Amino acid sequence: MTIATSTELICFLVLGAVVVLGSLGVVLLGNIVYSAFLLGGVFMAVAGLYLLLNASFVAAAQVLVYVGAVNVLILFAIMLVNKREDLKPIEGLPIRRLLSGGVCAGLFVLFFRVVITTPWAVPGPAAIGVGATERIGEHLFTDYLLPFELASVLLLMAMIGAIVLARRDVLEVDVGTGDAVNQGLIEKARTPLLVDKSTP
Amino acid sequence: MVTTFATETSGLVSSGLDLELSFSQSLQGLGLSPQVAHLLWLPLPMLLVLTAAMVGVLVTVWLERKISAAVQQRIGPEYAGALGVLQPMADGLKLLVKEDVIPVRADGLLFTLGPVLVLVPVILSWLIVPFGQNLLISNVGIGIFLWISLSSIQPIGLLMSGYASNNKYSLLGGLRAAAQSISYEIPLALAVLAVVMMSNSLSTVDIVAQQNGAGLLSWNVWRQPVGFLIFWICALAECERLPFDLPEAEEELVAGYQTEYAGMKFALFYLGSYINLVLSSLLVAVLYLGGWGFPIPVEWLAGWLGQSVDAPLVQVITGSVGIVMTVLKAYLLVFLAILLRWTTPRVRIDQLLDLGWKFLLPIALGNLLITAALKLAFPVAFGG
Amino acid sequence: MFGFLKKVADYTRDAADAANYLIQGLAVTFDHLRRRPITVQYPYEKLIPSERYRGRIHYEFDKCIACEVCVRVCPINLPVVDWVMNKETKKKELRNYSIDFGVCIFCGNCVEYCPTNCLSMTEEYELAAYDRHSLNYDNVALGRLPTSVTTDPSVQPLRELAYLPKGVMDPHDVPANQPRAGQLPAEVLKSLSLQQDSPQGDKRESLQDAPDQDQPKG
Ligand code: SF4
Ligand code: SF4
Repeated sequence: MTIATSTELICFLVLGAVVVLGSLGVVLLGNIVYSAFLLGGVFMAVAGLYLLLNASFVAAAQVLVYVGAVNVLILFAIMLVNKREDLKPIEGLPIRRLLSGGVCAGLFVLFFRVVITTPWAVPGPAAIGVGATERIGEHLFTDYLLPFELASVLLLMAMIGAIVLARRDVLEVDVGTGDAVNQGLIEKARTPLLVDKSTP
Repeated sequence: MVTTFATETSGLVSSGLDLELSFSQSLQGLGLSPQVAHLLWLPLPMLLVLTAAMVGVLVTVWLERKISAAVQQRIGPEYAGALGVLQPMADGLKLLVKEDVIPVRADGLLFTLGPVLVLVPVILSWLIVPFGQNLLISNVGIGIFLWISLSSIQPIGLLMSGYASNNKYSLLGGLRAAAQSISYEIPLALAVLAVVMMSNSLSTVDIVAQQNGAGLLSWNVWRQPVGFLIFWICALAECERLPFDLPEAEEELVAGYQTEYAGMKFALFYLGSYINLVLSSLLVAVLYLGGWGFPIPVEWLAGWLGQSVDAPLVQVITGSVGIVMTVLKAYLLVFLAILLRWTTPRVRIDQLLDLGWKFLLPIALGNLLITAALKLAFPVAFGG
Repeated sequence: MFGFLKKVADYTRDAADAANYLIQGLAVTFDHLRRRPITVQYPYEKLIPSERYRGRIHYEFDKCIACEVCVRVCPINLPVVDWVMNKETKKKELRNYSIDFGVCIFCGNCVEYCPTNCLSMTEEYELAAYDRHSLNYDNVALGRLPTSVTTDPSVQPLRELAYLPKGVMDPHDVPANQPRAGQLPAEVLKSLSLQQDSPQGDKRESLQDAPDQDQPKG
């Protein structure tokens, strides 16, 4: 075994351990801020795996999008909300945990089976390295154009939805049901001060 | 990732010379295997980056103090070394021996990790700064994209230190810093994209090479004046330089996310901000001001003097001129940043976000579109 | 449609204006770069405070009649006049007097209104202390004379801008016999009295025999 391959192996093992342990930490840790920071670490480790596969463009995009945008926004949301309240105890929590754990384990077994039964071509196709950037662009604008556009429309919809949700139009009644609603916002509905409310 | 490498310190670099090769050959002469030689070679470029970055910071800190003093009709540091040149050293030494305080209720782990996460991406980005055709640490294919993605890690470090300090000023400062970083990253990336579109390559070496056809006249700043301005404004915002230094606005936030830091951890922040400033200036020089190019192409000068470009002496001179030009351009921009610091008042946070999202972003998009149109219309001038 | 175009035009004009102002500002700072520093190397060089400098208050115990006017005119009733009534002589006997300079705003009201002129403002401004309570000066401390910048052998006195000759900005290396711009109050008085004596008299002549203004402050 040459130094290069052994270095690669060590890097792979370390990155893999970081990904696995990190994602377990994201799920299991009690402090949500730690979970968010660990998530960033997991994303970085995944970028490292891409780098090991000689896909530097994908690695950089992974860092830019997942670490630089997604994770930062998650952190932002956590730190801006910062609501310290005790959640209501959920009844039957152990059973729920057991159920979700079962689903996860089933999924894991399924993936494991797929990994084992798939006839992987070893060694895989040679990495194209620097040429990857152009290849990705080509694919995005030819055969993957539809998914690409669909994804962008989806993002646009998400954005508009977020704006609608975050707009501080204070509604006194629910538009759908007509019930009175209390949105718990800081701004209260503008109630005219000088109108006598006793006379309808 | 270390593929081609040649030091700027050696000065004896020609395009055909591969320093790594000669290094490992000389080590093999001592009876070492090529792999061990390669392993021994690996840390050298990294050390070189660190040294170059540190020296750059020391010079910048000194310049900052002296120029600030001159603008305010003061003298500035005077007693530490001639003209106070050793003052940055003294500062660093002081921070080095200061007590490293971790506040009691702070989160020790995140508190320590924060400054590291701020500094490391900035230093890594130095990999892609070219000082000459072969004078860079690593000619990675994704070049400038590496810098953009690395600089997007910084806000995490800022948020981390802001959160871990357990101090409202720190938290506010960290949030502001992160908001500022992510909003100015987008126009910055779009401005870079326009340049990349013209040079058909992400690699910094190609970007500079494409600008050096006709010396001064072929620099990107003439083809991308709007992009140049957008990039410079965004770079200032990313470095938290004065019109945009809200994250550490002393009057409102004590020192922002640095409030609770002392000693070496504070020094890491300090270093990070200055390394970032120098790096941004270098990249402006690379992207828009022709990088290592002399205002008149060296090839023409050599031709007029009747010298061959490939002659060793001409090679050496070209290499040194390249380094000098890059550094000179970068420090001119540093000077401009310092002058701007004493000219412009700090903007408010809403003005900052307005400027980023409502002004720079649309203009950067328009700039990108126009560049694309011009590239299709005049492939000769805009890199077909 | 045209409203939108107008908005765009206005916006562009605003942006251009902003750029213009930015460049003007840069021109100002750039211009300052080539001016000489006006630094005074403080512990070694000191500026001579002006005649009306309102520094630490000087107090003469023997002149004070304990009338407490200073207390009443002080915006914060700061001076502490500690007296007892002597039953036999039916006079106030002053025992202590103090002013806390950590609180004083140096407005000078007490000095202005003191009927016996026992208060006066000095040129002393170096009031730094390790403990703020040591800024509470009693009558002994208040009675100390200030050290003058001009007589301190370890200090190089420098003239302030108002005392420099016309057109000179840098206080270093100005010859001692160069008079300051304008006239001293004494000269103004003198010229006024000269004018009263001979209404046609030229003001300028009075300047010639004016005393040497090497040190504007005694
Ligand atoms: S100077 Fe003003 S504030 Fe100070 S003791 Fe006199 S009256 Fe009071
Ligand atoms: S006003 Fe003057 S005389 Fe009267 S108490 Fe004060 S210091 Fe003494």
